[in-house]
Amino acid sequence: MNIELTVNGVRREFTIAPGETLLELLRRTGYKGVKKGCEAGDCGACAVLLDGRAVNSCLVLAAKVDGHTVITVEGLADDGTLAPLQEAFLDTGAVQCGYCTPGMLIAATDLLNRNPRPSEEEIKEGLSGNLCRCTGYVKQVEAVKLALTRMNGGNDA
Amino acid sequence: MSLPKVSEFVRPTDLAAALHELESVNARIVAGGIDVVLFPGDTTKLVDISGIPLSGINSDAEGIVIGATTTMTALIESPLIADYLGGVVTTMLHHLASPLQRNLATIGGTLISAHPWSDVIPLFLVLGARVSYYDGTEHTVPIAQFYAESMFRQRIILTAVRLPAFPPGTAAAFIKFSRTAFDIAVLNCAALVQITAGRCTAARIAVGGAPQRGYLLPHAGEVLTKSGALTAEIIASAARTARDEADISDDMRASAAYRRNLVEVGVQRALGQIKDKLEAGV
Repeated sequence: MNIELTVNGVRREFTIAPGETLLELLRRTGYKGVKKGCEAGDCGACAVLLDGRAVNSCLVLAAKVDGHTVITVEGLADDGTLAPLQEAFLDTGAVQCGYCTPGMLIAATDLLNRNPRPSEEEIKEGLSGNLCRCTGYVKQVEAVKLALTRMNGGNDA
Repeated sequence: MSLPKVSEFVRPTDLAAALHELESVNARIVAGGIDVVLFPGDTTKLVDISGIPLSGINSDAEGIVIGATTTMTALIESPLIADYLGGVVTTMLHHLASPLQRNLATIGGTLISAHPWSDVIPLFLVLGARVSYYDGTEHTVPIAQFYAESMFRQRIILTAVRLPAFPPGTAAAFIKFSRTAFDIAVLNCAALVQITAGRCTAARIAVGGAPQRGYLLPHAGEVLTKSGALTAEIIASAARTARDEADISDDMRASAAYRRNLVEVGVQRALGQIKDKLEAGV
């Protein structure tokens, strides 16, 4: 079957199998920033923004999202300029092996889009569906705080 | 993982058409889709009901009506749900899965999946929620009856769940025990107490993930209604009754002995929260 999907601002047509997941579709069509982890909705490595909200793409059937809008980690930068969250993840060392990073960035983007001044607890809840096996999660929370400070016009400290 | 057995995907736009599509062998409804992807079984045909207008949260004189395809995120972000009975449903939802999953999961899907660890079911049992479903005609039944009779029938489409309005002097609480914030429950419990003219006139207590699907503990509730007042001693007595009354067993997450302890602690905490809320006039 065929579906139309707007991915990172580009409207595209895809031929899919009726039982294919959005994760499989995105990866086989070149969006390799969408990571395949647990394939059970537990790790969050495959997160994408679906109509602006972060979801596990491994749990989404591609046939269900005909006509919808998807943003992957490849779509977060603006014409080569990293988004504030991406810069902050680099600057705080929130990236080690990097496998969880795309999903973390997507989840954090959803959080900040609907809650511009989250508390530390809200940041932790916002990232609670993203597993990281390298860090202790401290750096990612710091990164979100740093991005917030910069986005709200404050200094790095 | 994609679902290789699925060969057909249809998008009916009304309930009658959806029910007709479900007549095929191995056809299944897909809404949020989480359970379909994780537990596809022999499903060969998917009937997507997201094109049927079943989403939304509305209030009327009888309470709140939640459409079946309303997502958990829509519920968490709803002022109506936040204002309902001290925000107890919102509190429960913050304990439920991750934001990523809550953006997909629907209230109808979670009620139909009826997982034993469901956080929604024990709370909706004590609230006395009513479930509406369509099998050619519309039916609305109490949630306990839905699980006892309706849901195991072939070809029904859950359309809405209704949360009743309560008079002032009613409070509810939800407690979840899990290994991590995002893990499913080792045990959860919920309670609701109604005080009229200083006396406890209604009380319902439920546990879930014990490890079977949530159920009410009527004897523990009776301890409260027979005793009248909500004192620390009566709360402790109700919690001990719940501990003895609960049908508990072992599984990979916890031993029965540990769970039995959790029942007492959970019920005590839930009733303690309710006492605090009632005294604070929430």
